[in-house]
Order: sequence, then C-alpha cells, then structure tokens
Amino acid sequence: MADSADRYDRRAFLARGATTAAALGLAGVGLPTLLSSCSSTTNNKATPRLSAPGIGTGKPKRGGTITVGLNSEIDGFLPSTNHFDNSGLTYANSVYDTLTMIAADGSAKPYLATSVTPNPDLTVWTITLRPGVTFHDGSPLNADVVLANIQSLQASALTGQALKGVVSTMVKVSDMSVAITCSEPIVAFPHYLATQVGYVVGMAQLESQSSTKPIGTGPFSLVEWVPNDHMTVQRNPHYWRAGLPYLDGVTYRPIAEDQSRENSLKSGTIDLMVTRDPNAIRDLQHDSGYQVVRNPSVGQNDMDFVILNTSVDPTNDLVVRQALAHAIDVDQLVKLFGAGIAKPNLSLFAPGSPYRTADNGYPKYDLAKAKALVAQAAPNHGGSIKISLATITDPRLLNEIQAIASMWELAGITTTISEVEQVTFIDNLVTGHFQAYTDEMFAATDPDLNYVWMSPTTANPPIALNFSRNKDDALEAALQQGRTSSDPAVRIKAYQEVDKRLSADLPYLWASQATWSLMGSNSVENFNNLTLPDGSAALGFASGTFDPTPAWRKD
Amino acid sequence: MLRFIATRLVQLVVICFLISVFAFLLVHLLPGDPTLAILGPNDTPAARAVLLHQLGLNKGLLSQYGTWIINILHGNLGASFLTKQTVSNALGVAVPIDLELVIVSQVLALLVAIPMALVAALRPNRIFDRVATTSTFAMLSLPTFVAGPLLVLVFAVTLKWVPATGFNRLSQGFGPNLKSVILPSVALAIGSITVYYRLLRADLIATLQEDFVTMARSKGLSTRYILMRHVMRPSSFSLLAGAGISIGTLFTGAFVVEVLFQLPGIGFQLVNAIYGRDYLVVQGMALVAAVAFVVVNFGVDFLLTVLDPRVRRA
Repeated sequence: MADSADRYDRRAFLARGATTAAALGLAGVGLPTLLSSCSSTTNNKATPRLSAPGIGTGKPKRGGTITVGLNSEIDGFLPSTNHFDNSGLTYANSVYDTLTMIAADGSAKPYLATSVTPNPDLTVWTITLRPGVTFHDGSPLNADVVLANIQSLQASALTGQALKGVVSTMVKVSDMSVAITCSEPIVAFPHYLATQVGYVVGMAQLESQSSTKPIGTGPFSLVEWVPNDHMTVQRNPHYWRAGLPYLDGVTYRPIAEDQSRENSLKSGTIDLMVTRDPNAIRDLQHDSGYQVVRNPSVGQNDMDFVILNTSVDPTNDLVVRQALAHAIDVDQLVKLFGAGIAKPNLSLFAPGSPYRTADNGYPKYDLAKAKALVAQAAPNHGGSIKISLATITDPRLLNEIQAIASMWELAGITTTISEVEQVTFIDNLVTGHFQAYTDEMFAATDPDLNYVWMSPTTANPPIALNFSRNKDDALEAALQQGRTSSDPAVRIKAYQEVDKRLSADLPYLWASQATWSLMGSNSVENFNNLTLPDGSAALGFASGTFDPTPAWRKD
Repeated sequence: MLRFIATRLVQLVVICFLISVFAFLLVHLLPGDPTLAILGPNDTPAARAVLLHQLGLNKGLLSQYGTWIINILHGNLGASFLTKQTVSNALGVAVPIDLELVIVSQVLALLVAIPMALVAALRPNRIFDRVATTSTFAMLSLPTFVAGPLLVLVFAVTLKWVPATGFNRLSQGFGPNLKSVILPSVALAIGSITVYYRLLRADLIATLQEDFVTMARSKGLSTRYILMRHVMRPSSFSLLAGAGISIGTLFTGAFVVEVLFQLPGIGFQLVNAIYGRDYLVVQGMALVAAVAFVVVNFGVDFLLTVLDPRVRRA
C-alpha cells in the first residue's frame, strides 16, 4: 500500500511526533547497548562505510545552497504544539538539535547531551549537557532551558500523552545537568530524546510560544518561512560542531504531488527530494544521474496497513476481523501498487528484526476460509457483514482501497469505500468515528516508542492515541515487559509476543513496509553521511527524515 | 454614463456586502460547535479561549459581524489557526502569483487568438480557418491537468529550459520570474485561446457582412484599415465579456495549475485551507476572491459601456 505525498496531515497527529520520530534502528535493543551508547565517548572509531549514494567521496566543499523538495508542509516549528511529520522533523533537524541522536547501528548516542545515564533500576535518567553550545539568539544551552522544554512538552495536549509514564518529575542537578524521574523503568529513554520531544528550543521561543520563529542550536537558522511555498535557512556561523555545516543555506519546498516533485528533480528545479512513491524509486534507482538512498535496513520501518476500529460494529467482532484479514491477497495488492519496489510484510517488524518471529500467526490469504468466517459471523450482525473502508483523498490510495474492497466483496463482505479529507481523517481516528481506514505508521528507533499507539491505556475516549481501541491485557503485559526489562532476551521475547498478540487481535491488517527514499542529483554530495560528534556514523536518512548538516555542493 | 456607473457601483456595494455576510456565516454554518470544528483534536481550554476571543463568538451575531467587518476594513482578515500566518500575509504571497498568471496567460491567449481570428474571419472556411478551428477544438479538449504535465515533460524535464515547479518573485529577477510563470501561463492560456478565437471569429464574420463594411470596401479602403478601424471594435464585445469572466475565474480558479506547478496562489491556498479546516483562512480568502471576481467583472462591464453605447441604453 503505497502512500501519497500529502499524507502529512494524516500522520500529523503525533504520527511520529512525540514518540516515533527521528529514525529507525533497533539493533541496540539491549540495556548494555543503550547504556554504553549514552555515555560520553570521544574515542570511538568512525564506523566504516561502503561507498553508497549520498556518501561524499571527495574533499568537502564549502558554500552554495541547495533546494530540497519535501512531500508535505507542516504547521509550525514548536515541538510541543506542532505536528512534526517527516517533513517537520527534517525542518527541525535544520534549526534544532536533539539531546541524543541515533547511530548507524540503531543505538541512541549523546548529541546535545554529553551523557544520558540511568540509575540502577532505570527510573531516573541524568542528562548532562554539552558545554559551550549557544542558541541562534546567543543564549546558552543549560539545565534551565532543558527543564523548561520538558515542562512545556508535558503540559502540551499534543506531546503530554506520549510523555505520560516516560517523564514523571524532573529536577535540576547542576547548571548543566538535569535528572528525569520516570514513573516506571524506561529502557528506551535515550531513544525518546532523539524524537520530537528531544529537540531543545531556546528560552525566548519557549516564552513566546512562537511556532513560526524557531530558535535552536541547530546547524542552520531560519531566514524565511512562507507556508505552502518554502522554508529557507542559512548556515549558523556559531554552530557547536566545528566546520559544519558546509552549505550556506537550504531551501525546502513542499511539493505535495509525487509526479511534480519527481519532475522538479529531473528538471533541476530542486536538488534533493523525499518520496514514498515506489514509482519514483523504480524510475530513478538505476539512473546514474541520480543518487537514490533507500530506507536503512536496520530498525522498524513505517508499515502500510488497514486499521480496524475494534470498538464499533462489526469490526469489534474478532471473527469479522479474521475474515477481513483472510480475504486480502497482500501479494496481489503489493504487486499491483508496489511498482516492484514494495514488499509484502505481514508483521509489525521487518525481516531481519530480532523481534520478528518465524510465524507470528498472522492470517494468510485464504478466500474459502474468509467466506466461512463471514458465514459464521453474519448472523450476529443482522445477516450480513457491511464494512466502510476509507482513505485520505488521493487517487492512488483510492485505487488501493478499491482493490481491497473487491477482495472483501469476493468473500461476501459488503464494502463501501470513501475518501476523507485529511484533517477529518485524523479527527475520526482519534475520536473513533471509523470502521476501517488505510494508515501508515510505526517507524521507531526502539519498539517502545510505539507503546502509546498500541497500549490499552491510551485506548479510552474521548481522544485515543491507540486508534484501533484494541484492549488486550496480554498485549499490554508484553508491551510493559519490553518497556521495562533491561534484558535483551526478555525484550526480544516480549516484542515477539506483541507481534503475535497483534496477529491474534487483528487491529491492523498488514500490507507492506513503506517505501521511503531520498533522491538527489549528482550536484549534491554527502547528503546521507551524517555523523555523531565523535565522528562515528549516525543513522542519516530514515522514514522520510534527513539532516542536511553533512551535505555539500559538488559544483 | 455617470448614472450607469453610479447604478453599477451601488450594485457592486450591495453584492460585496452580501458576499461578506456569506463569508462571515461560513464559520457559523459549521455543524455543531464551531470552535470544536476548527480546533479538532487540538481543542484545549487555552486554544478555545484564544479562538473565542479571536472570533468574538461569545457576542451576538450582529456584533460579531460588525467587529469582523471593521477588522477587515482595517486590513485585518484574521490568521491561520494552523500556521499562525495572517491571511493578509498569505494574500501577499498569493495575489502577485495570480495576478501574474492571469496577466501573462491572458496576454498570451489574446496575442494568439486575435490574429488567428482575424485571418480566419477574412477567409472563412478556407484552409487556415479550418486548420485553426480544428486545432482550437483539439485544444479545448485538452484539459489543464493533461497540458500541464506535457509542457513540464518537454520544456522542464527534457529541455530543462524552465523550472518544473515553484514561483520566483520579481524581486529575484525578471528572467527567473518569467521562467517560473511561463509554463503555467501557457497551460492556462490554452483554454482561453480557444474561447477567444471562437468568439472573435464568429463576431468578425458577422461584422464583415454588415453594410458599412461593404460601403468601406466600395470606397477602396484597405482591408487592414477596415478591420482595425471599423470591424474590430463592434466585434470585440463578446470577446471582452468572455475575457472578463475568464479573468475573474482564473484569479481564483487556477487551482489545478497551481497544484501541478506548486504555485501558492489563492486557489491553492484556499483548497489547502479547506482540507486543513483552517476556516478563518477560508473565510478571508473566499471573501477576497469573491470580491475580486465581482470587481473584475464590474471593470469589464464598464469597459463594455465605453465601447458599446447600446449597453448604456439597455
């Protein structure tokens, strides 16, 4: 199920904002990895990279500007109130820094912090800040600013829910360190600091609550933002990472229409573009005139799926959900709309993930079984099963739900399809006014970042971030085990159980992993060679988000 | 003449007033609580208080309208609840784009349509007329959403002469500015060329059969002189009326082209605001767009009155 360029608004309601955010990567799932990665290290060897698209080969060149085509526009730059989708996170990466950053191996490393260390039972995390860092307005980074940021995030209707349980209380330890107390052990705490809630905003912006004038410590500072047209940033001459960034400036242009964005790249109107369109990847991946960076193979990717509301009739009936799952021929669906790029994936986790089990029990395509289940369930629902399936307004997604509807019809399920404008779509998801919607989410650097989307504790009206409203105590137990255990083996078992419970409960009908890609002309170098302060490799482009800091112009 | 203008001005004021009432009522026509509809999941007490204050929703309807219209007359059209951008700022971005699109596309359309119509009308049903008529038929059947990508494919992607998307302001240089508007303008002009050509051709053919034209010819006046001096003016009324409607429509209705070329004009921003439920932007933009449409057509009416005394007497 390919996504459209303009799904920003659907994703907008914290779609990856407060929890999922910045990237992928969960290789460093265990506590030892987390702990070691979050201590202050300066002697790590740089992770060797193979020559690849987006990796510069020559000496970096200073100066010049680039134009980047993004798939969506955002509503502002204040992490506590604005909806950061992949474009929002890319904007944010330009003007802000996060307290931690995801390394290429998927572990969370200190960034604006020099260390993030827990107490023995993982309920108190002490964040020590990097000295000598200043915001764009010249004010210093210190503990007061960080505390004010976290308080602002906690108080926000948007990010507050995601921080429940993660942040309980906080205290200033010294001018350059704060201690965060969690209401339970949070193994993945450093990963949270690499997401939307990890961006540190200047005190002046916090006080004004300005969503249009970001004041960060980032590599670039804002020159101009004209919503729906462009955002221009210029190099921060006082950036704390010596020598970076190389570019004098970056202009971001939201170009919602996939083909228009691709044409813009081909015509040289833009230098880089972000896309989820598998057709664009198919078109350009073998063209030597372009560099095509695909999603990293580590970690948990965005999934494309149909979300079912388990609190309304008839999708509150497990037998109906089983029938719906058995009736979808995912292979055929992906073949039709995946452009040969997308691959079927009937699990929350990608192939190769330690959390993926050999058989999670997800229902396979079986039309006869679907028909039998429909016959079994129909008497409980007035004699027939009627489903309303909707997607956001987008021609390609409309084609996809038409295909799904025809599959369900074959199983004897009467299906009506419709398109819903994006904001209504989000409202309906959080308020529960839907039966079946296409959706995409769940990219995360650690599976615990998805807790808020799946936990029964967030499934209650009036506003539920667990959109499916699936309430399964066994699922919650597994999520809690994964959240609180420092034993990698226990975590693996816990999240395998999560995957199995989701296959049993069927709040989500899986289809494929999202096909994010960052594409560039050959005039731009090194745009996917993000590094950590110690020179080791960072994750770089992931799930539609990238950081322009290492890029330079070849010409 | 003055009486005619005064009458039309009164009509204009009445129409603008009605438009303002409809635009104002947009928020109040929302089902349920308008603040909830606007804020959606961001409906917090603080946001609600700000919105109530901004809209004056706790006052009577007349009082609200009074405040709203006074604000508008002072240039305050409200602000987006999503981006915090004021509607005036958004219009400051959108209006120059649409103005330029309209001007360039209509100049292009007239530059092509008028000579074609003149040549075709002089020799109706001959080769040129047939080719031109057939071609314009074909152009009429070429929707903007097909013409636009084709133009981009040839001139932006293949030849790389012009950018595929985006708008360069005049302040960025005349060349870059023209390059950024030429393709969308051509895409818009294609439809107008057909309409203008056909309107003008038909009127020209009819006028050329009038007795005064035969008289002029019998006096030995040149064809060129007859066309320019005696035929063009009485043949241009339909063209002018058509252009008025077309310009008014294009000013707000170039949405498809604006999306294809990623130009944040009024139509583009209006549709985005509708999708985003940014009703205050919708309200402000709709008001400005409707008033602009009415004013443009008032201007065309006035021009028709100057050109054709019969309109004044009607």
